[in-house]
Amino acid sequence: MIERHAGRAVALLFALPIAALVVRAVADQWRAPALVPQRLGLRGLDAALEAGAAFAGSLAVALVATGAAIAIGWPAARVLGERRLRRPGLVFLLLAMPLLVTPYATGAGLTEWFIRLGLAGTLPGLVLAHLVLVLPYVVVVLLSGFGARVSELEEMARTFGASPLRRLAWVTLPSVRATLAAAALLGFLVSWSQYGSSLAVGAGRPMLPLVLLPFVRTDPQVAAALALLFLAPALVALAVATRASRSPL
Amino acid sequence: MSALACSGVVVSAAGAPVLRGVDLTVAAGSRTVLVGPSGAGKTTLLRTVAGLAPLDAGEIRLGARSLRGVPAHRRRIAVVFQEPRLLPHLDVADNVAFALRAAGVRRAERRRRARALLDDVGLGGFADRRVRGLSGGEQQRVALARALCAEPELLMLDEPLAAVDPNRREGLRRLIVDLQRARAVTTLLITHDRAEAAELGERVALMLEGWIVQHAPPRELFERPASAAVARFFGAANLLRGDVRAGRLAVAGVDVPVPGPDGPATFTIRPEHVVLCDSAPLAATVVEAVYAGTHVRLALQAGSQRLQAHAVGGDAPPAGARIAVELPVDRLWRLPATAPDAPAPRAARP
Repeated sequence: MIERHAGRAVALLFALPIAALVVRAVADQWRAPALVPQRLGLRGLDAALEAGAAFAGSLAVALVATGAAIAIGWPAARVLGERRLRRPGLVFLLLAMPLLVTPYATGAGLTEWFIRLGLAGTLPGLVLAHLVLVLPYVVVVLLSGFGARVSELEEMARTFGASPLRRLAWVTLPSVRATLAAAALLGFLVSWSQYGSSLAVGAGRPMLPLVLLPFVRTDPQVAAALALLFLAPALVALAVATRASRSPL
Repeated sequence: MSALACSGVVVSAAGAPVLRGVDLTVAAGSRTVLVGPSGAGKTTLLRTVAGLAPLDAGEIRLGARSLRGVPAHRRRIAVVFQEPRLLPHLDVADNVAFALRAAGVRRAERRRRARALLDDVGLGGFADRRVRGLSGGEQQRVALARALCAEPELLMLDEPLAAVDPNRREGLRRLIVDLQRARAVTTLLITHDRAEAAELGERVALMLEGWIVQHAPPRELFERPASAAVARFFGAANLLRGDVRAGRLAVAGVDVPVPGPDGPATFTIRPEHVVLCDSAPLAATVVEAVYAGTHVRLALQAGSQRLQAHAVGGDAPPAGARIAVELPVDRLWRLPATAPDAPAPRAARP
């Protein structure tokens, strides 16, 4: 009973700011101190839709960085989750190092090298910069999915004739589905909302968070519309992850 | 069906030898129980045969095939693990038919065969259920059905009754034996329980500290142990050592007739074969009397010789009682002079 009320309260807490954003985004004219806008219109949304390239760039970088982080982080998460390392703390520290300084500093450090390597301002460069920040989160979430239970099931599948690829598809992936979905969601959101590192290595390339911020002061209506645009894929990712992680039991 | 033949199997884990040269043959279509204390290497041998643990030296053959370098998923060996290891995202029938799916059998056919096997293990009607709600015994039956569904050349079961309620074990034990007989599948079964070994095995192999020390029909291990260590494991706790002269051995100053030629020898006799009587030359004091449900376990002291005996029925002598003991000559077993590959006996027991 209490849980249900608490759940509603939390839902309200999240819904209110979004409602406020929606109103702000369609308020063509809203002078203080009026509580409601004087004139509604689509000016903000029109302006926001011009950020299509930034949206596409952010989406592509986030998807590729998340995918790469899962591919690279999978073996690491596995080894850590099965407690096969003698000093997991050291690996954690190395992994978390880029998170200990602000993303802009990490990005700035990378930029120097990216310019030398011709990666600055390119999509692969942005993916790499985001990967550094996404990977630790993905590994930390993913490792909790592995353990004796999964490896025992894989052993069972081995003896019953399943080849390595089939074990992955029939046993491992279904077993870690929930944690994989959570790791992918977190990884996507970290990349999607990345400001500092994108600013540092982007060389002016439009990414959605970079496009949004200047409008916050100059034109709140466009900023609100952009914020809604910004929220959309995050909400879709959340919905997909929730669906995927729903326990089949 | 194929015979399993292990010869000179050596396996080490973290530098320490676990299997020290195991020779074990299971005839095609027969059932052997591998028994031994925890840590003897039983599960390691099973995992090595299954291809789940690497073989350091030696040879494992299944029928005409050598299993050297054959990956686990191509060995055609089915394992019932200690835990059921069912896939929680599949229903019961899909779990049973797992090996058929790996073999590329169509789904409808898979489920038909899984249903038939579920009937065989007493779980008819369970096909569409989730595995989560099943009891430990039911899950282990599903695991057994899954193993049989694979139609393996070798079936291995690792302590299959360990996770099952004690009062459900009898039914599952009978089921395993019946199904094995009906299908004549070559079977290797692991347990640490000697009574279970006797009930489950056509033959029993005792493993101690990485060796097979005796492999024979169950009665032999109980009544004709190959060494003192075997006798001890199977509960023949009475060891009589000495010089046989004129067919007799001095036990606590009394000459007891024994089988075999004169000379130094060690004899064993099972506690349940020691006869308690009112008058006999060999006298003993009851040191301890422990009620064990089906019998009273007596610790006896006859001079410097300790003996164990079982008193069946209501009238067991209490601790401190003076009684007479008879050691029937046909129940005394003379240990072979050279025990085959037996590890050195540990410090003598008090």
